[in-house]
Amino acid sequence: MDKLPLGLALDLRRVVPYKTGSWRTMKPLYIMQTPPCTHSCPINNDIRGFLRVLADKQDYTEAWHILTRTNPFPATCGRVCPHPCEDGCNRRDFDTPLAINSSERSVGDYGLEHHLEHRKEVLATRKEKVAVVGSGPAGLSCAFHLAKRGFAVKVFEAAREPGGMMRYGIPAYRLPKDVLQREIEAILKLGVELECNVKVGVNIPFDQLRHDYQAVFLGLGAQKGATVGIPGEDARNVFTGLEFLKAVNIGKAPEVGRNVVVVGGGNTAMDCARVAKRLGADVQIVYRRTRVEMPAITAEIDEAMEERIMFRYHTNPIKIITDEDKVVGLLCVQMELKEADASGRARPVPIPGSESVIPADTVIMATGQEVDYDGIDLAKRENRWISADEFLMTSVDRVFAGGDAVLGLETVSAAIGQGLRAATAIEDYLEGHVESSLASPPVVYFKDLNSYYYNRKKRISKEAIPVHERLKSFNEIYPPFDPGEIVQEANRCFSCGLCFDCKNCLMYCPDNAVNLVPATGRYEFDYDFCKGCGLCVRECPCHYIQLTLEK
Amino acid sequence: MLKYLEGSHAVSQVVAMCRPQVISAYPITPQTHIVEDLARLVGEGKLEAEFINVESEFSAASVILGASAAGARAYTTTTSQGLLLMTEVLYCIAGMRLPIVLTCANRAISAPLNIWNDQQDSMTVRDAGWIQLYAEDNQEAADLHVQAFKIAEATSLPMMVCMDGFILTHAFEPVDIPEQKEVDAFLPSFKPQHIIDPRWPRALGLYADPRFYMETRYILHRALEKSEEVIKQVSADFAQAFGRNSGGLIKTYKLEDADVVIVTMGSVAGTIKDLIDRLETAGKHVGLLQICSFRPFPKQEVYRALKNKMNIVVLEKAVSLGRGGILASDIRWSFPRAEQPGRRISSYIAGLGGRNISTDGLMEMVNRVSKEHVELAFLGLNKEIIAERDL
Amino acid sequence: MMELHEEDLNRVEKKNLFASGHRACGGCGQALAARLVADAAGENTIACVATGCLEIFSSPYPDPSWRIPFLHSLFENVSAVASGVEAAYKAMNKGPVNIIAMGGDGSTADIGFQSISGMFERGHNVLYVCYDNEAYMNTGVQRSSFTPYGAKTTTTPMGNPTRKKNLPMLAAVHGIPYVATATVDDYRDLQRKVKKALTFEGPKYLHVLAPCPLGWGHSGDLSVLISRLAKDTCLFPVFEIINGSVTNIQKVPHKKPVEEYLNLQARFKHLFKKGEPTGMVAEIQEIANQNIERFNL
Repeated sequence: MDKLPLGLALDLRRVVPYKTGSWRTMKPLYIMQTPPCTHSCPINNDIRGFLRVLADKQDYTEAWHILTRTNPFPATCGRVCPHPCEDGCNRRDFDTPLAINSSERSVGDYGLEHHLEHRKEVLATRKEKVAVVGSGPAGLSCAFHLAKRGFAVKVFEAAREPGGMMRYGIPAYRLPKDVLQREIEAILKLGVELECNVKVGVNIPFDQLRHDYQAVFLGLGAQKGATVGIPGEDARNVFTGLEFLKAVNIGKAPEVGRNVVVVGGGNTAMDCARVAKRLGADVQIVYRRTRVEMPAITAEIDEAMEERIMFRYHTNPIKIITDEDKVVGLLCVQMELKEADASGRARPVPIPGSESVIPADTVIMATGQEVDYDGIDLAKRENRWISADEFLMTSVDRVFAGGDAVLGLETVSAAIGQGLRAATAIEDYLEGHVESSLASPPVVYFKDLNSYYYNRKKRISKEAIPVHERLKSFNEIYPPFDPGEIVQEANRCFSCGLCFDCKNCLMYCPDNAVNLVPATGRYEFDYDFCKGCGLCVRECPCHYIQLTLEK
Repeated sequence: MLKYLEGSHAVSQVVAMCRPQVISAYPITPQTHIVEDLARLVGEGKLEAEFINVESEFSAASVILGASAAGARAYTTTTSQGLLLMTEVLYCIAGMRLPIVLTCANRAISAPLNIWNDQQDSMTVRDAGWIQLYAEDNQEAADLHVQAFKIAEATSLPMMVCMDGFILTHAFEPVDIPEQKEVDAFLPSFKPQHIIDPRWPRALGLYADPRFYMETRYILHRALEKSEEVIKQVSADFAQAFGRNSGGLIKTYKLEDADVVIVTMGSVAGTIKDLIDRLETAGKHVGLLQICSFRPFPKQEVYRALKNKMNIVVLEKAVSLGRGGILASDIRWSFPRAEQPGRRISSYIAGLGGRNISTDGLMEMVNRVSKEHVELAFLGLNKEIIAERDL
Repeated sequence: MMELHEEDLNRVEKKNLFASGHRACGGCGQALAARLVADAAGENTIACVATGCLEIFSSPYPDPSWRIPFLHSLFENVSAVASGVEAAYKAMNKGPVNIIAMGGDGSTADIGFQSISGMFERGHNVLYVCYDNEAYMNTGVQRSSFTPYGAKTTTTPMGNPTRKKNLPMLAAVHGIPYVATATVDDYRDLQRKVKKALTFEGPKYLHVLAPCPLGWGHSGDLSVLISRLAKDTCLFPVFEIINGSVTNIQKVPHKKPVEEYLNLQARFKHLFKKGEPTGMVAEIQEIANQNIERFNL
């Protein structure tokens, strides 16, 4: 001990502080959590990441790079994705969820306008080659991620142009063709080889691919329209949904006449109806159950209704009435709903004596889709879909699959997500290790947040252009937001589970045990002095801090 | 310069010359004239100081505690009830080693209320760690203040200059008031040991747990003991500079041939010297030992002076209720055990509450102690007004 | 009065002038407040602190946690000591320097009331910051004149029968130029008020509500929330009094019933029998209502 100074007066510059950290029974840690937006997203996009970059730095370029780390189709998804991220957004429980979808679109469009290029993750080229069958969202996503990791990839596409359902299924007013084309080109620029007009299994044997390439990914989609098998389906002007949409999308729209009836309740049915409307017809949708059971995205149904498409629920077609091989009408019967069937939905049962004829010049059967397995033999299939394990490998060695072909009819985003997972699985497989899926951090929910520190503000929104304008063309119906509006919206992001520099922990610690590290701009705890009181945990708005037991 | 003035004013003028920077003031009889005079000097611009009219003696002491800690020369004055009210702060000031000077215009303590002189007040706080010097007359009272600042600042101990209330404070005597330049030459500007200043951040007033507290008390005790040398030296320096003997630890008067020695403090010494002179003519040899520094208690000096004196009577203006004479206890303790038998040290309590100490009374005392040892007596006690049960 | 730019007033300060290593309980509202006050005042500050929780946990020899000069003597005299420091600086022609006197319930309103009143009346250029934790916490949670109605303390085990002494008003009535109340949950407001106070010449008084987990009976991590609830239930109005006029009252648009505040603290548990509020709760609500009316919250 030092000698006592005069009057016990102490030079404060020479104090050795007492380490109160020894009192602690609980210890705070900065632990990144998964935000519910990422958790809900089929691609697990770093939504928080790109929004924070827009909010904090207004840096669209970096936002684009963050988003395209996982998703090569931001402009596309920003238009066609049903945004489960917004359903998961914690802000939903506070005021209104973030307009993530519009933000993604804005970022994607920025990337296209400024010709941004994807970055490779691995600069060297690896010796393995991978074949991808199908250039839809699943296939192109898989190709994209493998190419970024240094693999040589070749995509085989049966149609004339790449894109799969994105090109041939989704109408232009939802996804303009040039937007899609330019996003595909950006992917190909990574060095992905593409050969069109090649149907694997027909033009080139499947086994040859398996021989020539170290791994094969099947992104076959579900491109065969299925019909319900009623008499008259072979008449002229009777199309499957996919047939119809494809014809329109390649510029060969058929003459649909005045009355068009679309049978079905899925997205394809909605697309067909709205396309037919734009071709000048009066359109009715016939569905055997009700709106509640319709599998189509809610927004699609709403927009179809706005566009004055008539919905006939509880209606099932029995027969297509023709006059000299031309469609003149559709005989339908009314249904009533009984207990649930195998699909889990109420079972429709026809009401005897309720038949009637709907006049029609064109009938479009958007009643189901199947995988076109032509020439590709996979030993195991579940129902109509390819069965793949948790690593997306099929029953055939070194053959992986993903997208609609595996999941059943799903979204573009789901397919992109599967492509990413497959790429990772292929990489792991070829490197010879089975990577157990990295446990992602737990999800933060609204109840975990301290919402006192967030200000209420409604999300941005834009009206669609008026219906009569919409129907005049195949142009997009939602105008874009300008960058300033998107940045403002991004500022609404709670940053669930990751620090956004609110400084609460820094300022509320009674013991000065939180410090800003100037080099990194992040915060750290001074465990020599932290008493584990937990004030920081309580007052962290985004649940980035948690208490654990001190050993 | 020789001036004929009231004791209070002698003190205030000399204190002003010592250039205190912060003065706190709370009036209490009989100190009021000191603070009033200082207020006037400050108001007229003759003294550059911050004069704070506080709301109680407690704050008076606290204000100068703060001021001294901040590095300013600080002064206040009080007595009796005021001194007791600021007791807590007095101990604090000593513990913090702040060289504050305080004038105590000794006065009796309530209850019952009594505004006249005795020394019970400063006696009560004798253990606080302050140096206590007792003045015999107005000249010494004035001189002691000049010495006080110097001693305090040299030892980092607070100083109490005690002067008998009314008897000295309100008495007019000729006093040689020094010149400002003489005081400046004797007393340089204050160089504080402690400074509370953001440029050199220090903490003053930390708490000491059992590991440290005892040592701080030891250090303070030793500081007081060692201050005896400084008190002697400063008194000698003062004599050289101003040509007067003032202060120091003890003074003696006609001690050499004395058969009876009276030990006392303060202004009563004057009365006793008169008596001694009178008795001398009558062939009786009485001597006087004047304690000037009561704390630190100059045990060795006392012993040396009284070594060969076998009949000692201690006359004091205070009492430790339930025990007896306070100064008497200290005097009795000054002799080693071996030299105590045969030595008579009598204890007399006198002059409480301003009771006049007459030469007749003193004569009676001398006569009595010449014959016998008096364990404890109250000089001139009027038994007629004391009820039987209270005797 | 000194002018300070808005950006200086609004800037949040963290300087570690009240550093780590003090022995306050985890989550102590007073430690948090002292930290915020010291940082807001800056390095050119002298802290005179009264005996109390703050002094005890922050100034043991040999490791105090103060990094600005610190002076402590007794319980009831911090205002007088600060007055003395201020006088010394004037006398020595040193400065300018911020002199802040800090104390708790006792040293402000009870045993130290004489001292603070004298300091206000004489007009010393000192900022007095009172950390109001509503009892004599340092000596073991005994009742003070700041203990609110109904609160249980060790010397009012049945609930305190008197209402809180209104020191901000008492301070203002002395005619001092700046008085303010603040809470620890709004650190921006607290630091701003410290800086603003220091621009005024003369005595200033800042009354900070400082939750005490031990004395109030809640876990340390709730201190900020409870402080906020004291405001939101209108039991602790936040305002300034500048040159005698009440101003800058912090309105409470979403008022909460006092139960939300009382429920979180064990010192009010006896006010609820089997979860149901007793009559005293209504009386406390009445106090809140009076605040709402008087300050138009």
